[in-house]
Amino acid sequence: MRDIVLSGQWIFLIYFVGINMGYLLQNVIAAYGIRKYLQTADQYEAENVFSTLDIPISIVVPAYNESASIITSVKAMLQLEYPQYELIVVNDGSSDDTLDKLINEFGMQRFPEAYRARVSCKAVRGTYRSTRISNLRVVDKKNGGSKADASNAGINLCCYPLVCVVDADSILQPDSLRRVVRPFLEDPTTVAVGGTVRIANGCTVRQGFLEKVGLPRNYFALVQVVEYLRAFLFGRMGWSPMNALLIISGAFGLFHKETLVEAGGYNPKAIGEDMELILRLHRLMKAKHKPYRITFVPDPVCWTDAPESLRDLKSQRVRWQHGLGLSFALNRELITNPRGGAVTWFAIPFYMIFELFGPIIEVAGFIFILVSAVMGWLSFPEAAIFLALAIGLGILLSTSAIMLEELSFHMYPRFKQLALLYSVAILENFGFRQLTAIWRFQGLVRWLRGTEHKWETLTRSTSLAEKPSPPG
Amino acid sequence: MEWLFRSEFDTATTFALWSIAAVLVTTIVLFVYTMGLRITMIAATRRRQQFVLSWRDIFAGSVLSPHAAANLTLPKLRQSDRIDLLEEWNRARSIVDGSAASNLITLAYRTEIPALAHKLLQTHRVRSRILAVQTFGHLRDNSVRDELRALINHENTALSITAAHAVTEIDPDFGIKLVIPLIEVRRDWPKNRVSNLLRLAGSERISEPMYRAVRSADADSKTYLLQFARLIEAEVLDALVEDLVRNSEDPGVINAALKLVSGFRGVPRIASLTQHDTWYVRMQAAKVLGRVGQQEHVSLLEALLNDREWWVRYRAAQSIASLPFLGPNQMRQIQRRQTDRFATDILQQAFAEVGIA
Repeated sequence: MRDIVLSGQWIFLIYFVGINMGYLLQNVIAAYGIRKYLQTADQYEAENVFSTLDIPISIVVPAYNESASIITSVKAMLQLEYPQYELIVVNDGSSDDTLDKLINEFGMQRFPEAYRARVSCKAVRGTYRSTRISNLRVVDKKNGGSKADASNAGINLCCYPLVCVVDADSILQPDSLRRVVRPFLEDPTTVAVGGTVRIANGCTVRQGFLEKVGLPRNYFALVQVVEYLRAFLFGRMGWSPMNALLIISGAFGLFHKETLVEAGGYNPKAIGEDMELILRLHRLMKAKHKPYRITFVPDPVCWTDAPESLRDLKSQRVRWQHGLGLSFALNRELITNPRGGAVTWFAIPFYMIFELFGPIIEVAGFIFILVSAVMGWLSFPEAAIFLALAIGLGILLSTSAIMLEELSFHMYPRFKQLALLYSVAILENFGFRQLTAIWRFQGLVRWLRGTEHKWETLTRSTSLAEKPSPPG
Repeated sequence: MEWLFRSEFDTATTFALWSIAAVLVTTIVLFVYTMGLRITMIAATRRRQQFVLSWRDIFAGSVLSPHAAANLTLPKLRQSDRIDLLEEWNRARSIVDGSAASNLITLAYRTEIPALAHKLLQTHRVRSRILAVQTFGHLRDNSVRDELRALINHENTALSITAAHAVTEIDPDFGIKLVIPLIEVRRDWPKNRVSNLLRLAGSERISEPMYRAVRSADADSKTYLLQFARLIEAEVLDALVEDLVRNSEDPGVINAALKLVSGFRGVPRIASLTQHDTWYVRMQAAKVLGRVGQQEHVSLLEALLNDREWWVRYRAAQSIASLPFLGPNQMRQIQRRQTDRFATDILQQAFAEVGIA
């Protein structure tokens, strides 16, 4: 028994050192990357006179029962600062009046589009063009049961060389396209670009645009603000310079259309279709021995609604973990490809050990500590020291993410907001992290057991509700 | 049972204690640094607002009158305002031209702007050097031409393209001579900035060197350079395009050249390209025929309606729909003649796009 317990200790210790070293290293790489990025960003900004040489973009907006927000979202997306783009809204067999609202508001008329199914999706019932807005089209299709299926229908109708897939409830920065297109202009081998997604809860939205950045009052949403800072500012930014980015958020991603089509578009069977697509792109590009880049810009380009109730949060985290496992399973050739470069040698092992199977170690650790304490095996002073170190490192990583945010985009301008973020960086270590570890464990079990995923309707926060316009 | 951690983790525990101390210190340092950043930013924003308020009228007055530029009383400049002045002056200078630009240059020589630009040019910070280079360009300061020339070859994209722009601003002939051979080499230069630079030099000045550069380049570089060819003089462009369409065998070059066709030169050759092996050449040829095609080209476009590539079918259908000598009835006849469903579908879409029911 003693031997088993002792070897368990070493596993936990190695895991603990590994995960924290990994994150700290990502932090350093991200800090360097952001500094370098910002050095030239201003210059590009100053000189970025739009010209016909910018690459035109097709924006695909999959919408399922988005009646409440679709008009505002589309109006906002039609005002993006970019010289040439088209907007394709995909009505994924909504059971509400999403399609009717679009038809009435934008004067959409049925149009005999010569539709070509380059990537697979459920049958298209009809296409519509706006009589008033030349760059707006709507596709009406049978419900495919997934965002992936709806996105594919939109991709089939895209005319331009770059495709941007955006969630219908996302709030975009007006200059978001201009910012994410930059890697495509700098490096023609770029096939996909992601940007930073931020939490919209607590922000003020008017006419589909973010008017004022704020922080949510809801504790769970507030914790996610710090979580997203960590995930995007050093999680993604740390992997990007190595060309080992494994995920581009489904809320906003820009892709080279032909590469996306060659890869077969989104996989409707994948639960985390955004990650699965990126893994597949890595796999296929490496198989073809083609030079390519999948990259990330740290600019905040998109704001999204975060779940505020425990039920929704649990559902989201279980789904993410299930999707993570499934994405790796669907692309296992990439895991074993000896020529996979940094993706195979660094990113995938890190994700598999610490993100995919990490919850096993973490949950086992909780049980181990509890059992040891109950059995009287635990040396409380030493356990307290390690707990303090774990919490301290957690706080350090969050503090570092807040610093990167202040160094780069300082979106939270008030001291009170900073204080709130620091408080959350401390508080999240007591309860929230343990809870998410348990939910992730449940997601992992679901994947391992091959449980079929059921989509649940999430409750929207009030953050995206429109603030009424002042009279007059 | 205190053996659990104590017996095996003595060294580890000591290490953990030290680690806690290190983590704590690092966290506090990061926190203080973040707060410092915030305080500095707030102070800098306030200072800058005050500065801009006091200098805005001076810039506006100078733009309108050379007398004001030479005689206006200038506020005393604090050390901390100097970079702000440089940035604001560059911002003002970049949106004006002609006499207004000359007035702003006169104003700049009354301030510390040239001296500061010289100082920043010697620093190692890329951002400062870019600002300095931009300033020299806007000042049209010929004394630093050689230093700027060396920076055109700098590995940093922003610095090198800014240097290229500045040299062209100072001496357009000299700049163009340096820059045009580099365009095909420096593919990292953003295309819109290259285009701005060529526009700055003017079509008369760039036509001949661009023509020669395109002619002497290999196929890949030709394709790349042709993206900027629209900026050269129309007659030179037409001659170049005709030559490339007629004599080039590379599909990429033909495609790039077809995009630039504006007149009726070389139509028979363009018509023959509708049967090219490469789909995008067929597509581009179909598109051009929509603008310059005659009655005898209708059958060629009709044949393309059955092409295996969607884009070729689409462009052919659009071209048929845009031919000025075809009326709606003739177009419907063409549609009725089609036996292939893809051909009728694509014609229906193209006709609907131009309002032919």
